[in-house]
Amino acid sequence: MLFTVKDVSDFLANKPFIDTVIVPLVQIDLSEDGIKQSSSASDYLLNLTNFIEHQFKGRIMLMPPITYLKGVDQSGAMLLFEQKLKEAGFKHVFFMTSDHSLTALQQTHTVVWLPSIPLESMDATVKNKILEDQLAQVIPVFSAKWSQA
Amino acid sequence: MSNNRVSRRQFLNYTLTGVGGFMAAGMLMPMVRFAIDPVLQSKGAGDFVPTDQKVAELTETPVKVNFSFEQVDAWYKSDVTAMAWVYKEGDKVVALSPVCKHLGCTVGWEGDKNHPDEFFCACHAGRYHKNGENIPGTPPLGPLDEFEVEEKDGLLLIGPVRPNTLVKK
Ligand code: FES
Repeated sequence: MLFTVKDVSDFLANKPFIDTVIVPLVQIDLSEDGIKQSSSASDYLLNLTNFIEHQFKGRIMLMPPITYLKGVDQSGAMLLFEQKLKEAGFKHVFFMTSDHSLTALQQTHTVVWLPSIPLESMDATVKNKILEDQLAQVIPVFSAKWSQA
Repeated sequence: MSNNRVSRRQFLNYTLTGVGGFMAAGMLMPMVRFAIDPVLQSKGAGDFVPTDQKVAELTETPVKVNFSFEQVDAWYKSDVTAMAWVYKEGDKVVALSPVCKHLGCTVGWEGDKNHPDEFFCACHAGRYHKNGENIPGTPPLGPLDEFEVEEKDGLLLIGPVRPNTLVKK
């Protein structure tokens, strides 16, 4: 499900089934030599999370991304967000990012870290193949969480 | 040249018929267009889109076939990649939509070891027979949709989606 009126209505009507939420965390680096890489990573993460949403539409709600400036601590925001999402009825909260520094928060959150791949240089078929491969990598993370419950 | 002099009256006649004709055409054209529009309309979503899949290589085991088309959402144009589960039933090519009829996840062929020869939806363990028929007792309430198919130069074309025609009720 996407965070759109139509999908959110579906969510409200089927709450017990849609028990998982993905929050993409996108780091913005505006420095001269970081901005390009930052845009590429952001593009990759949003593509991938959309792809995952498409595969698991009936069980996962994809939130609009949290964007933050490089070096600004996210732990407080993430804690609050996770708490509110759980209150709203989601059982599993996945944060997905290509910012490696966030893996430090894996004690308190489920942070899925995916090193970014430059999709901009690829044609549609290759891009799709890459996304499928990446999806195959994250599926076990999801199934592990789902089978715990 | 001088025998063919155009009189003032004739001149006016010609010009007025000309202008009147244009005006009439201007009024009629949209009406005619409107009447036969469906015929003239350039096709959009209803098109058959090409795939890389050779029809001769299809077997009785469903395989993923990707295809992409352009989608316009307000001002935003994007290339959407979609997928179908395609297999042969005798000589007939069957292409099923992978969109689960419960809440829309993507189903997989033999996605669950305990249920061979079935489509499986990992989201809430929805199950379907090979022809797309949903298995009672699992969440989906209807059969998987079907794509129209065509063959061109040995390659598979995927057409519009329609309700499943294989499941006999
Ligand atoms: S979305 Fe397929 S079983 Fe629920």
